[in-house]
Amino acid sequence: MKTKWLKLSVFFVFLCIALLLNGCATLGPIYQKVDTIQEGKALVYIYRPSSFVGGGISYNVKVGETVITTLYSGGYYPYLAEPGETEFWAKTESKSAVTLDIKPGQTYYIKGTVGVGFFLGRPHLMVVSSDVGAREIAECKLIPEAKIEKK
Amino acid sequence: MREYISLLLIVIVLSGCGTTMVINPQTPKYNGATDFKIKGKVVYKGNREYLPKTIKDDLNSVSAVVLRYEYDVTYGRDDVHQAVPLFNPLTVVGFPIGEDTLATCGRLEILKGEKILKSYAACCAFQKTRGLFYEGETFSELRKKGLLEVRNNIEMQMYQDKDFLMKLE
Repeated sequence: MKTKWLKLSVFFVFLCIALLLNGCATLGPIYQKVDTIQEGKALVYIYRPSSFVGGGISYNVKVGETVITTLYSGGYYPYLAEPGETEFWAKTESKSAVTLDIKPGQTYYIKGTVGVGFFLGRPHLMVVSSDVGAREIAECKLIPEAKIEKK
Repeated sequence: MREYISLLLIVIVLSGCGTTMVINPQTPKYNGATDFKIKGKVVYKGNREYLPKTIKDDLNSVSAVVLRYEYDVTYGRDDVHQAVPLFNPLTVVGFPIGEDTLATCGRLEILKGEKILKSYAACCAFQKTRGLFYEGETFSELRKKGLLEVRNNIEMQMYQDKDFLMKLE
């Protein structure tokens, strides 16, 4: 009986470790401000503060059908966007979308989080002010191109 | 007792659903309001869909009337912490797991030279709660809906002033 409980406990500990590690993606260097914005373009920072809740879930952020980045917990991606009305969206169990009126030379921040879902965490994108964005992105790490699921 | 619990559950589920919209100022709806148009030089950079239909760009016009339109979209914060719904047993019966707020405001200025002859403004705000059974409209959809409501509201305000506005051209 004791052995059975011991085996079960060991299994549970390994399961917890596996679940925790699942959320750890190898990201790049810590946030560094993009100093120059290419002429005629705007800079959109897409970031996701590190969080235990939904930490193992990542999702693609798209413009149209093009994947801009795969958003991991604690990651950020600087995207050089064309001016105009642009919709950024993400979908797992449900869809989340924000639209920006992009003006050349400007910087925008889109914050992603993961909320509760039936079977899978749900993405939630929101536009945040420069103050909030600049503060929260400071602890995020760059999402390397190799980690972006281009499909 | 069973009926009471069922009713309570339904109330809880329904309370977590829905979007509320508030628009300011309140204006009556007029049929054919957009048949009336004021012509001038339109100063606006954005999606033409959000531009009030009561203004018309007239490049050949000798009138010095300038119609300047701009809008702004403000996003609210979601103050419900992501961990709260995980430990809230009512989440499974539809208790809200998050809240989205968004406000759109538009402003139309009618100018002659540097002088503002008349200005119109409208704001539309949304509050939406998200639940396990109801995600509702996305921020993009709310933004579009809000900007169209603002446009329609300004059209109605202009229609109310049509006698004055017609003299400006």
